[in-house]
Amino acid sequence: MTTQTDAPAAGTAEYAPEIAPRLPWAQLVPDVYKAMIRLDTAAKQGLDPKLYELVKIRASQINHCALCIDMHSKDALAAGESVERIVQLSAWEESRHFYTGKELAALELTEAVTVLTDGFVPDDVYERAAAHFEETELAQLIAAITVINAWNRFGVTCRMTPGHYQPGQHK
Amino acid sequence: MTARTTRLDAGVREAMRALSAATKKGLGDAALAELVQIRASQLNHCAFCLDMHLTLARKHGVSERQLDLLAAWEEAGDDVFDARERAALALTEAVTVLTDGFVPDAVYERAAEHFDERQLAHLIGLITVINSWNRLMVSRRIPAGSTEW
Repeated sequence: MTTQTDAPAAGTAEYAPEIAPRLPWAQLVPDVYKAMIRLDTAAKQGLDPKLYELVKIRASQINHCALCIDMHSKDALAAGESVERIVQLSAWEESRHFYTGKELAALELTEAVTVLTDGFVPDDVYERAAAHFEETELAQLIAAITVINAWNRFGVTCRMTPGHYQPGQHK
Repeated sequence: MTARTTRLDAGVREAMRALSAATKKGLGDAALAELVQIRASQLNHCAFCLDMHLTLARKHGVSERQLDLLAAWEEAGDDVFDARERAALALTEAVTVLTDGFVPDAVYERAAEHFDERQLAHLIGLITVINSWNRLMVSRRIPAGSTEW
């Protein structure tokens, strides 16, 4: 946690106080943190970074991971992504003309893989993704969706605090 | 069912195995680790992971009674699952069903009463890793018992 520049201004009476994280997991179990970094690096090989940021933001929205939304929205903006495409992500099904067919297939797969508890990944969703991604790239996309889901679980469970991330810090 | 043929990259497989091993070793309770992994796999409907972890649970001496009643652990009585197991299972469910919203304070604090901070971080890691295996296997429809993944 570096500076406070991006957090809501201190002393602004209308804002609720910032809540401290529950558990500094990365410091407590550095072996697990390093293994996560290694997995993250392996999963993103061969994926378009711009597409991967959209996937990461969308999964983090569905899983309600405040830290991950903070991090990946800032990274996407810093990498030249448009505000419009980030803002529209939570309603992408109604704003399809902001995205390519390949991005839409990836977003649809992201949702299906993220919401597993409602049941499986439908054939039509999988097949649409398979039509846009060749097999090696599809395997990496599935791995990448899995990895952001994993970061979301650490972030939400340990209640990591959003607002302090600087773009590029975890690149 | 239509077969899906996507195979994982070797680097991803190895990184997953390393992550998995780190969390299990850190928790240091093989029987509890299997209960946690089976319960998450039930919630995520992962046939491959259920098959694997039910086999491993039996190998680690988890009772048939616990395995039979795991899907209804909250109703199963304190003689079937003790307070520590219940705290771990409640946390497993909350961390697995994130899309319904957050991990409640009561669930987190109950777990923190039974596990010290490092154990708790490893337990959260283990729950996260089985959720990752579930996603990798369900999305590619890997059959139970398959050695090709």
